[in-house]
Amino acid sequence: MKTIFRFLKPYGKLCVFTVLVMILDVAGGLFVPRLTADMINIGVESRDLSYMFEKGAAMLVVTLIAGAGALAGSWLCADLSAKLGRDMRNALYEKSLELSEHDFEQFGTGSMITRTLNDINIIQQSVVWCIQMVLPVPAACIMGIVMAFAIDTVMGFLLIGITALIIALAILVTRRASEIFGLLQRLLDRMNVVLRENLTGVRVIRAFRKEKEEEKRMRKTFEDYARTSVSANLLFAGLESAALFVINICIVAILWIGGNRIGAGFMEIGDITALTEYSILILFYIIMAQMVIILLPRSRVCLGRIEEVLGKEPEIKDGTMEHVVGNADAVCFDHVSFRFPDADENALTDLNFVCRKGETTAVIGGTGSGKSTIAKLILRFHDVTKGTISVNGVDVRHQTQRALRERIAYVPQKAWLFSGSIGDNLHDGDENASGEKMRHVLSVAQADFVSSLANGLDAHVAQGGTNYSGGQKQRLSIARALMKDADLYIFDDSFSALDFKTDAALRQALRSEVRDAAVLIIAQRINTILNADQIIVLDEGKIAGIGKHDELLKTCQVYREIADSQMKGGGSNAGK
Amino acid sequence: MQENEASVFEDEMEYGVPSNAWRTVRRLWEAMGRQRIRLVIVAVSVLFYTVLSVAAPVYSAGIIDLLWRKIRLAWEEGVTFRVSWNSGGREIVILLVIYTATGILYTFQSFLMASFAERLSLELRTMISRKLNRLPLAFFDNHRTGEVLSRVTNDLDKMAEVLQTGLLKLFTAVGMVVGSLIMMMRFHVGLTLIFLLFTGLSIFFTRFFAAKTLRYASLRQQAVSRVTGQVEEAYSGRTVIRAFNREEKSAGDMREAVEELARTSRNADFMMNAVNPFIRFVNRVGQAAIAVFAGKLLLDGVLTVGTFQAFFQYVYQASEPLTEAAYMVNSLQSSIASVERIFELLDEKEIRKDPDVSRIPENPGEKIAVVGSTGAGKTTLINLLMRFYEVNGGRILLDGTDISLMSYEGLRRHFGMVLQDTWLFEGTIAENIAYGRTDASRDEIVAAAKAARADFFIRTLPRGYDTVLGSDAENISAGQKQLLTIARVMLCNPAVLILDEATSSVDTRTEMEIGKAMQELMKRRTSFVIAHRLSTIVDADLILVMQNGTIIEKGNHRELLQSGGAYADLYNSQFAQ
Repeated sequence: MKTIFRFLKPYGKLCVFTVLVMILDVAGGLFVPRLTADMINIGVESRDLSYMFEKGAAMLVVTLIAGAGALAGSWLCADLSAKLGRDMRNALYEKSLELSEHDFEQFGTGSMITRTLNDINIIQQSVVWCIQMVLPVPAACIMGIVMAFAIDTVMGFLLIGITALIIALAILVTRRASEIFGLLQRLLDRMNVVLRENLTGVRVIRAFRKEKEEEKRMRKTFEDYARTSVSANLLFAGLESAALFVINICIVAILWIGGNRIGAGFMEIGDITALTEYSILILFYIIMAQMVIILLPRSRVCLGRIEEVLGKEPEIKDGTMEHVVGNADAVCFDHVSFRFPDADENALTDLNFVCRKGETTAVIGGTGSGKSTIAKLILRFHDVTKGTISVNGVDVRHQTQRALRERIAYVPQKAWLFSGSIGDNLHDGDENASGEKMRHVLSVAQADFVSSLANGLDAHVAQGGTNYSGGQKQRLSIARALMKDADLYIFDDSFSALDFKTDAALRQALRSEVRDAAVLIIAQRINTILNADQIIVLDEGKIAGIGKHDELLKTCQVYREIADSQMKGGGSNAGK
Repeated sequence: MQENEASVFEDEMEYGVPSNAWRTVRRLWEAMGRQRIRLVIVAVSVLFYTVLSVAAPVYSAGIIDLLWRKIRLAWEEGVTFRVSWNSGGREIVILLVIYTATGILYTFQSFLMASFAERLSLELRTMISRKLNRLPLAFFDNHRTGEVLSRVTNDLDKMAEVLQTGLLKLFTAVGMVVGSLIMMMRFHVGLTLIFLLFTGLSIFFTRFFAAKTLRYASLRQQAVSRVTGQVEEAYSGRTVIRAFNREEKSAGDMREAVEELARTSRNADFMMNAVNPFIRFVNRVGQAAIAVFAGKLLLDGVLTVGTFQAFFQYVYQASEPLTEAAYMVNSLQSSIASVERIFELLDEKEIRKDPDVSRIPENPGEKIAVVGSTGAGKTTLINLLMRFYEVNGGRILLDGTDISLMSYEGLRRHFGMVLQDTWLFEGTIAENIAYGRTDASRDEIVAAAKAARADFFIRTLPRGYDTVLGSDAENISAGQKQLLTIARVMLCNPAVLILDEATSSVDTRTEMEIGKAMQELMKRRTSFVIAHRLSTIVDADLILVMQNGTIIEKGNHRELLQSGGAYADLYNSQFAQ
């Protein structure tokens, strides 16, 4: 709840004002029957038509004011809802950017999308409904009762009694209803889950010949849902009937007691109409409020999910050093060990190596050896468990993440492009780059195919880059990194989707392009790294050997095995 | 509530239009079966209810006139008037009886309807679940999950809601409007015409607003799509955003899209919110006019105190259903369209009844690998093998028997399948492993898990084998899920294995474990492996190289490399991933 108030705080005045205009509308609803009653009283007593017109004009004025109030309320509510949604979405997204990989994975992409879109939507709706339909209700009750007292004390007390009766009824139903609705929502979710499982798992279900069992499982969720829906329907049917009954008792009581009061000269005949209308309006407002309240638990859940993200303490604390420039080595691993937070074994153990500027360092190893993790640690997507990683001579944890990444160009394993144009994507590497530079970089990245596209640099890129092939995406992703002027270029398995020739051509063009910088290539193919100044062989998270290709062939068993399987066309122990 | 993809900002004004409403209604009527009698009883009840509801105001008008007469009489005689059985009390009690009767009828019919619609939708849902099992795989591949899901849940819920409250409302509304108008006419024709004039006005405005609302809603929908795209993209590509220090730019883009959404939803919401107050305003102006005119008639003695207030009660009774008519018709229409979509699903073509031959194949333990680029037809091969799809020509032999002559049951019993798309259901880990053999003992389950290298991580979970997997199994990782599917097959001990060995969504840590578990699984079994990493299939007995839906090369690793064809190219370029 605190979160809601935090987001509503800037609009405190707007909220109060909205409630006030909504109350104006309610007051209008109560005044119209009052004026109608006056007209009846004039009609039966004074027999003067000008009074009638006077009351008619008053009614028109009240209607206008109430209508204006309601319209203003509609606008203000819509405005408030929009602002609330906007602020919450922005806050959530900005928060997400502070989270580390591991923080974010705990929520998951799918769930984060739901939270940003659906959950906030439901919260917006509930807040607006509360302002529109719950907050004006006490005012409506009090005004109705006061106006009844203005007619006659006895009738005033009668109306208090009626209001109390309706509120009691509403509370009774609300309790039961939130139970049933909670259950209904769970059963609906369950039904969706089971159905979804049946649709997405159709192959597995058929392969295991479980059709009949699945049918039974579905049938059961349908039945549970139907049964609970029926009790929800019955509850509402009961509520409506009870409300109808209360109103009827009201009318009869007003007639009987009102008859006596008129007989005793305390009120007039037209007041019966007014009183009847007051009680109907009070009933209406309370029931509406009750409907909103029934739905609130659902938005509590959504709010909880938002709060969970906003309250998440980022795992990685930003450093303070803004400018790190030096002649030190690009990267230095000093006794680095790393363990995933939920794992029981180290992914990397006691790594020691240095990437020097102007040199190419390669990391090779089987799947699961922890190669990609090295890149992620350098970029500080994770923090090391033990040891230190220095970039440009400074511990990555002491630098701001911005300053750290400013000097690193990274090509991720999974080539991801953003929707827009190719130029837009390249500008992510260098915002002010000219077309000339982009074309040059594209040719270095062996992505000359761009120039043959109809729109060249303006060619459209679909979300995720799905309109390009894996190899094209990878080359564009490489070009994006090359746009950046960096001290360290990291290629995380970035040549895997390229054929042998392109791979070679690219590496050759690359060397002259990034002359003074350090290059870190993470690869599976020996060919890719053959000429590296330094090759690090990883095996199960440990360094099995460091050196040049020829040395490693002689000294490193693991390296020799990899080389054998790849260079001589396989054998009995190939690749394993 | 989770990931309800279709319902993000579900639109209030989205009405489907049925293509053949009458036929659908007739079919629905037939589907109701024995429940039809309920509908008839409800219709009769509604008839009485309406008559009583229309009678009540005119009767209460009589009471007020009576009271007013007696009160004036008493005043003239100089005594205090008190309501007693003979002076109005009897009539008030009769009014209470009329009210109570309407109340009872109302309760009766809404209780009858409360289970009517739900039973009908339960009936239809059950029919759909049976239907799903008789649909060919092509249906599932060609329809989006969310789309089918929404038919079974949303469409049927919509139908149930309209049948339950909408139908009842429609019945009563017609009676109320007709009855009220007749009574109003009897009181005063001129007054009734004023009423009709203003009602016409409010109907006109409702329509006007509806059209406008629709336009604003579609503008908002555009903004929603934009934000949705932006959010999906930003969350999926956050590594790149962060690596390139593009957080500020991305947040700026997001702010822009969100701002646009805020602007358009404010307009759309305002239009939605404003309809009711506006209509109320028009109605109230009408009431003011009626009140002045009726006041004059009261002065002239044409109307009495009682009829004056009774006329207003009829105004309320008639105006609500009239202004809501358009909305009611629309929702009725859209629910018929919903029902139509359900029938469409029920009419989908089914797979043909299968013959009943089954034979058990030998167990030669060969490893057959299928390689080729995306779209080469690797998955189709497996689809045909499992008879998820039927061959268009030619035949597939399993140990000499044409599989199209075998029953699905008989055929599939021999196969175990591990797909890249791991599928687990909401239930405990033990239940999931025992999916193919519900009778398996706990020891057998644990043994299978051990063989699949899943035992260790299962034990680290708080409730071990009894840990319940959530709907999207968020409590375990993708790789661990894969291990469970391997254990599942392990427990069934099938003769033939089908493995889709892609492990793209898996972190490197578990990728290795999966590889080992798969090796374990393949021991001593005939296996078909869809290979993504060539290193894992170099030891295969037979490698099939596929391209554009045909097998272009076959042989073992050495032979294929020597022949220097497509496989050799593929191998040299190491088409990993």
